[in-house]
Amino acid sequence: MKIYFELNGRPQYVEVQPGESLLSLLRRLGTKSVREGCGMGECGCCVILLEGKPVRSCILFAPKVQGKKVTTVEGLGSLDNPHPLQRAFVEAGAVQCGFCTPGMILTAYALLAENPSPTPQEVRDYLLGNICRCTGYNKIVDAVLLAAAWKGEGRW
Amino acid sequence: MVIQLGRPWEVVGQNVPKVDGIPLAMGQPKFTLDMEIPGALIGKLLYSPHAHAEIISIDASEAERVPGVACILHHGNVPRVPYTTAGQGWPEPSPYDTVLFDRKVRYVGDRVAAVAAETEEAAWEALQKIRVEYRVLPAVLTPEEALAPGAPVIHDEPDAQGIYEAARNIAAAVDVVVGDLDQGFAESDVVVETTCEVPYVQHAALEPHCVAAYFDEDGRLVLRSSTQVPFHVRRIVARVLGIPLHRIRVVKPRIGGGFGSKQEVILEPIAAALAIRTGRPVVMNLTREEVFVSTRTRHPFRVRAKLGAKKDGTLHAIEMEAISCAGAYGPHSGTVLYNVGAKALPLYNKAKHLRFHGKAVYANLPVAGAYRGYGATQGFFALEVAMDELAEKCGMDPLALRLKNHIRAGETSPLFEKLGEGREGKPQLIRSCALAECLRIGAERFGWHEKRKGPRWEGSWAYGVGMACAMQGSGITGIDMATATLIMNEDGSFRLLIGATDLGTGADTVLAQIAAEALGIPLEKISVYSSDTDFTPFDKGAYASSTTYVSGNAVLLAAERVKGQIREVAAQILGEPVEHLELAREKVVSRQSGRAMSFEEIGHRAFYVADQRHIMASASFTCPESPPPFAAFFCEVGVDTETGAVRVEKFVAAADCGQPIHPKLAEGQLEGAVAQGIGHALFEEMRFSARGRCVNPTFFDYRVPTSLDVPDLEVILVPSEEPTGPFGAKSIGEVGINGPLPAIANAIYHAVGVRLTRAPFTPERVLQALRKGRAKR
Amino acid sequence: MRLRGVQRYHWARDVDEALSLLSAYQGKGALLAGGVDLARSPRTDIEGLIDLTGLGLSYVREEEEGGLRVGATTTLAALLGRPETESYAGGVLREALQTVACPAIRHMATLGGAVVSAHPWADIPTLLVALDARGRWRGEREGKAELWDLYQKEFRRIFQAAVLLEIELPPWEGVGAFEKIGRNAGDIALLNACAGLRMSEGRIAEARVAVGARPQRGERLRWLEEALVGEKPNEKLWEKVKEEVRARIEVGEDRRASAEWRREAAGVLVARALVRAAGKAGA
Repeated sequence: MKIYFELNGRPQYVEVQPGESLLSLLRRLGTKSVREGCGMGECGCCVILLEGKPVRSCILFAPKVQGKKVTTVEGLGSLDNPHPLQRAFVEAGAVQCGFCTPGMILTAYALLAENPSPTPQEVRDYLLGNICRCTGYNKIVDAVLLAAAWKGEGRW
Repeated sequence: MVIQLGRPWEVVGQNVPKVDGIPLAMGQPKFTLDMEIPGALIGKLLYSPHAHAEIISIDASEAERVPGVACILHHGNVPRVPYTTAGQGWPEPSPYDTVLFDRKVRYVGDRVAAVAAETEEAAWEALQKIRVEYRVLPAVLTPEEALAPGAPVIHDEPDAQGIYEAARNIAAAVDVVVGDLDQGFAESDVVVETTCEVPYVQHAALEPHCVAAYFDEDGRLVLRSSTQVPFHVRRIVARVLGIPLHRIRVVKPRIGGGFGSKQEVILEPIAAALAIRTGRPVVMNLTREEVFVSTRTRHPFRVRAKLGAKKDGTLHAIEMEAISCAGAYGPHSGTVLYNVGAKALPLYNKAKHLRFHGKAVYANLPVAGAYRGYGATQGFFALEVAMDELAEKCGMDPLALRLKNHIRAGETSPLFEKLGEGREGKPQLIRSCALAECLRIGAERFGWHEKRKGPRWEGSWAYGVGMACAMQGSGITGIDMATATLIMNEDGSFRLLIGATDLGTGADTVLAQIAAEALGIPLEKISVYSSDTDFTPFDKGAYASSTTYVSGNAVLLAAERVKGQIREVAAQILGEPVEHLELAREKVVSRQSGRAMSFEEIGHRAFYVADQRHIMASASFTCPESPPPFAAFFCEVGVDTETGAVRVEKFVAAADCGQPIHPKLAEGQLEGAVAQGIGHALFEEMRFSARGRCVNPTFFDYRVPTSLDVPDLEVILVPSEEPTGPFGAKSIGEVGINGPLPAIANAIYHAVGVRLTRAPFTPERVLQALRKGRAKR
Repeated sequence: MRLRGVQRYHWARDVDEALSLLSAYQGKGALLAGGVDLARSPRTDIEGLIDLTGLGLSYVREEEEGGLRVGATTTLAALLGRPETESYAGGVLREALQTVACPAIRHMATLGGAVVSAHPWADIPTLLVALDARGRWRGEREGKAELWDLYQKEFRRIFQAAVLLEIELPPWEGVGAFEKIGRNAGDIALLNACAGLRMSEGRIAEARVAVGARPQRGERLRWLEEALVGEKPNEKLWEKVKEEVRARIEVGEDRRASAEWRREAAGVLVARALVRAAGKAGA
């Protein structure tokens, strides 16, 4: 079946299997930042933003994005112009193996859209569904708070 | 937090941007499965439903007829070459007890057959249609059962090698004595004994194991794999499949974590075999469930620690007995076993009488392998809980007991020589040890003395504090080698080629920092290419906390050689003796005349103008000693005495890794390791049915620490001067995971007066212990 | 994603279409809202998926007397975001919903989905049976019943051939609290409890107590509710509640926890929920 949706601002008109996951579709389309860590919606590596809200794409049926806007980190910034959140993650030392990073960044993006100056506890709360095995989370929280501070300063 | 020694490094010791940081934050397609390979088949595995069985027959005929199926492999149509999947240097100190596919299955999840097909659906359908007839055999699910007389022999195959005593299911054993243990305990004023248990635990690296096998334009086999050990993969695949080594290339792209689970050669030989058989590329990736059950785990251990001490707390005799469950096969079984004693016991070198003994025992359960800490974690759990008991019996503060007994710079332990990894080691002197500082600073930042005065209560919650110490190593002495090649470009920039394997640890960055500092150039002038057996020199791989120390020293040596060549060329150009020339800030300057030449000028001239040569050098390093990092851990827990729930309220870890090359990355290693340790202590455990099937092979039921589980965690890097390390660096990758288990157990004891010795300390176990023991109020 | 073999995906335009599609698939069709449970299900016999999110069933309406009507395809996040959620029964809805999984799941999972899958370990069934929630559906006929009753009887059979339309939370002057213990943050419950109190002149006029994930699904402890009427909240009462619950609660063992531990924890969680409810009621 064919569906139409918007991926990082670009219209997509694509063939999907009815029972296919959004994760599978997005990777087929070349959006490799969306990753499978568990395939069962338990780790957060597959998180993308659907109409600006974080969802786990590995357990989302692809047809469900019909007519909607999907955002991945490829849509946040580019290699020569990374998004401040991406910069903040690198500066704070929050990127180790990087496998969880795209999902983590998108979730943080959604948090800061709702709550531009969260407390550390609120950050931890919101990132609950994004597992990181490498960092122990401290520097990830630092990164989100750094990006929030930059937002407060008007940098983005 | 980093305590600076005020050293004048420009690149080393700085938090430079990680070389792959921005690309990773951009989600760039740098992982194994991100590379599209046109025409690739999908490889999948069929697993045993039985814990122990003989395969009477395999009939793949119906499966082969499924449209899209290209090839099916099983014991009947592959070479039988015993090997070990352990990613270790040759000769691997692990039993050769594995073959590609065997006529026998030894655990639920063991490999039976492999299918390569055009699509996942076709592969899946074919798996359902492979007919296997089993003769089920009695299974053993614990070391006790496996050691009991009359137990079924798991490895009865005649061609296995290196098994300590197959008939008794003993994969490896150790018994090392120093002095006279009985005399030692007899002479001791105080004796304590405790037994601690660690269950089956998962690495839970977020990227599941995966590999892509394809052929380059010369028909050579290329394996792009999520591995920690590309060179060992190449050697082992060559041997197992009978391919000349030079016809194989192994590439490690970015990988999504390892923690030891990828210090194995699990999927590569199968993907390679499927690719060779079909002549087509094959991609294999495991589901999370398959990773849980059919890759590797930590070695479950029962460790008994018995300490004898004088009245004043000086240790006099230590006995440690360690029994592990190796699982159905034995990769790393001997080396992990040895490491329990080799890493834990030397920490307290005052004891004159020592015995370390134990066994690694086969069982019909998932296969244990390398896991961060590598035995030290299990050893320190028992040792540090025993020390806590000893402190209480001696009426001493646990901190004071550690200060009294720990090894110091300038000292040694007889165990360094007696207990290498799986074999005799080498004598070693400790040259740097800031553990006393770690203890002091950690205690201060934590508020130890105040909090230690007594548990505090809030309603049904009791809060207590506990501590522990640990050490690890930096590389394996005399065994594993790393090489680096540093190549100058004509514009004065450099290319660093290293076999070293960055798992996300930041090794590429750290090694580039070392090179940049040595050469006197900014980090941006070095590009790093790593972990490609065709283009980068040999490196043992990422394990034993060896990358910064061993690979780093290789980089340093290569840089020195390159500097020598630069001086030579500059000497020729300037017409001055080499001794006059100094390198600084991308220039060669004559101390005598003040004349200078930039690296760019030198490089350009050497390429094109006169006496042409390409300035480049390689250097290898094998560490003659393995300087341990040291760490002190302080933990406050709250225990809900009505439900048994335990929460870590505050955790401080202070570690001495010599000179941190990249402080934020070093902190990150410590923080990540502590978080993993908290998981071990409070909720991580693989559980099995009575028939040996893992019942919680998903993150739904095997809980991994989340952002809300890791509390107020502070890490402090305390420097020391390690003369043998590159710019004084030691390792940091593993030591952090050795603290939480004992620190949390000791904190629970302080809070509620019961000793939990069986991890994880679930609400169930804690409540049971409270009901049995006494809850102080 | 575990679901295999799906051939077609439909967006139902109205309830009749959803029902006729379901019937046409003869047991091989599945209704979905968020689809979270379906995506994790290992079934291979489902051929058709019928998406209900276009039926206009995402809404939260506050009734005049203070009750709530929640459309079945309302996501948990949407429900959490509403002020009506905060004011109902002392904020117990928010308390419970915030313990469910994580933000991403809450943006996908729906209240109706939770009601229909009714996992025994889930928090929403415990919450809703405590609040006397009612479900309204249309299958062959229109139906409406209290969830606690449906769960005792044949909710699975009903929802196999019906579309759940709405969940009604009747107006109630009482206040509630929700307690849950998991193995770590974000976990499902090893045990959960929801308790509510309506006070009158310093004494309990009405009590609601439900305990779930026992591992059985949440059920009301009617005997306890009756015994609490007329009592004055105080420490002695709560100690007695703990004892009684321990003695009489029906619990079992599963791979997550033993019956023994659940028995202990049940007493504690019920007492804690009641204490907090009493606190909210100003008692």
